[in-house]
Amino acid sequence: MAKLVDLARIVRSKNAGALLFTIDLIFEDIAADVRVRDSAAFAPRNIGPLFGVTDNQVRIFHCEDALALKITVPRRTRSGDPGDADVYGAQQYAPLLSVDIPD
Amino acid sequence: MNEIRMMATTGMLGYGFTEEAFYAGLARDLDFIACDAGSQDPGPYYLGSGTAFVSRAAAKRDLKLMVDAGIDREITVLVGSAGGSGGEPHLAWLMEIVREIAAEGSHRMQIAAIHAEPDRAYLKRQIAQDQIKPLGPIDLLTPSDIDDSSRIVAMMGLAPYQLALGDGADVVIAGRSSDAAIFAAIPVMAGADPGLAWHLAKIIECTAQVAEPRTGQDCVLGMLADDHFVVEPAHPDKRCTRLKVAAHTLHENPDPYRLAEPEGTLDTSAAVYEQIDARRVRVSGSRFEPADRYSVKLEGVRREGHRTVFFAGVRDPGLISVIDEFVADCRERAAAEAQTIGIDPNSYRLGIRIYGRDAVLGSLEPNADRPHEIGVLVDVIAEDVETSRAVIAKVRYALLHTGFSGRKCISGNLAIPFSPSDLDAGEAYSFNVWHRMEIDDPLEPFRLEWVEL
Repeated sequence: MAKLVDLARIVRSKNAGALLFTIDLIFEDIAADVRVRDSAAFAPRNIGPLFGVTDNQVRIFHCEDALALKITVPRRTRSGDPGDADVYGAQQYAPLLSVDIPD
Repeated sequence: MNEIRMMATTGMLGYGFTEEAFYAGLARDLDFIACDAGSQDPGPYYLGSGTAFVSRAAAKRDLKLMVDAGIDREITVLVGSAGGSGGEPHLAWLMEIVREIAAEGSHRMQIAAIHAEPDRAYLKRQIAQDQIKPLGPIDLLTPSDIDDSSRIVAMMGLAPYQLALGDGADVVIAGRSSDAAIFAAIPVMAGADPGLAWHLAKIIECTAQVAEPRTGQDCVLGMLADDHFVVEPAHPDKRCTRLKVAAHTLHENPDPYRLAEPEGTLDTSAAVYEQIDARRVRVSGSRFEPADRYSVKLEGVRREGHRTVFFAGVRDPGLISVIDEFVADCRERAAAEAQTIGIDPNSYRLGIRIYGRDAVLGSLEPNADRPHEIGVLVDVIAEDVETSRAVIAKVRYALLHTGFSGRKCISGNLAIPFSPSDLDAGEAYSFNVWHRMEIDDPLEPFRLEWVEL
């Protein structure tokens, strides 16, 4: 078992426009990339609750060339709306860091 | 087709680039130099207020180097999303800087300024003809959304640039624009493969993202051939890596393989990335699927009111242990106090966030540890500045002096870091238009203006 934060080289989030967050995980090698991609913890039904969305609102992409996984979810508020706490969406990856990934 | 050579100077006009990289790039017999000047990342305020998010001095420094070199060496200069948001005041702001730069030099130049704030009656006709669709999770656009908006811009594709270039523009200063269209306009007009042209454009518009060491913004070169393109940093001490170039389509895009543009969709799923040498990456295999209907993105904001903010620290462990009940009491007390001076509780919005606990993630915060210190951020939005200030003063007083169970700090509950304590944050806006408008004529929402200097 390992925490996601210990498996990824880069964990970042950003707006993909004013209505979506997109989170990129970039790994050192393909083994770590595939290990996370194929783990049950990384299925939309487990990712959705971390971002307060339903599993059919979670889009997950695998980019082998970049050794990367990408998650795109709807924002709960639009960027800069009254009540939004993260206009750029740059700190929204935090719930992923402590996700346990089995060996 | 001859190889087309381009240089992206900086990821954002005003974020800077080194002169070393810039002049090294210029020595490479370029066809054009360009940069993006805008983004909606900084949020709705800048589009609404008509202001830039970079300083005038910084924008002028970058643009002057580009315009002086471009005119001097007869290299076309293109800048998109003028002034950050690309609306009328933003375009006027950057054009004034261009006039100043021209006046300081001795060259003559033909400048094309492309306006990108479509007429509202036109937008309402487009709604009536069902030509405007949501772009993501947002409701259908209505005529009253148009009326409510402070400003609406349309994001241009290639056509307005190509019109300006075909008629001999030396410098193109465009309002709101697709970032990639700035760099794809000349190659596609010259007959380049649109898949490669758009992919290269998408990669180099952010410049620094694909080069390392990543020490701020700097110029990046793109060399586009018939069946591939090459990306290379202009700075001799920097390098582009295959991984960084391949990772670039992840950046700020919802889908890394399919990138929507007005003309169609860039499909990078079959792209092949190869490291040529220590500094250069070769890319091939990118495809472009023309859209059935040409469409431009619309971005608009409406005014929410006037914002005042207040920030203070709490170090008292007893208060931290009951902070939610305490904040609820203070909200009630402040609302009652505001009513005594004639302020209706429905006439303002009060937000109170607890930094150090869950201000960033809210209910999604997984960490339940109790902090030893917290920051309380109060945010009031009301119709006018006076109401906003009056409400926040009542909230501040309530937070400072309301009792709580076990209280011993009877002189005050807060460490207030500033005097004045209540800070005017200006007008508050929100995005209320984030849609896609189908059009028959790609020039329809835009207007070209010629300026000879």
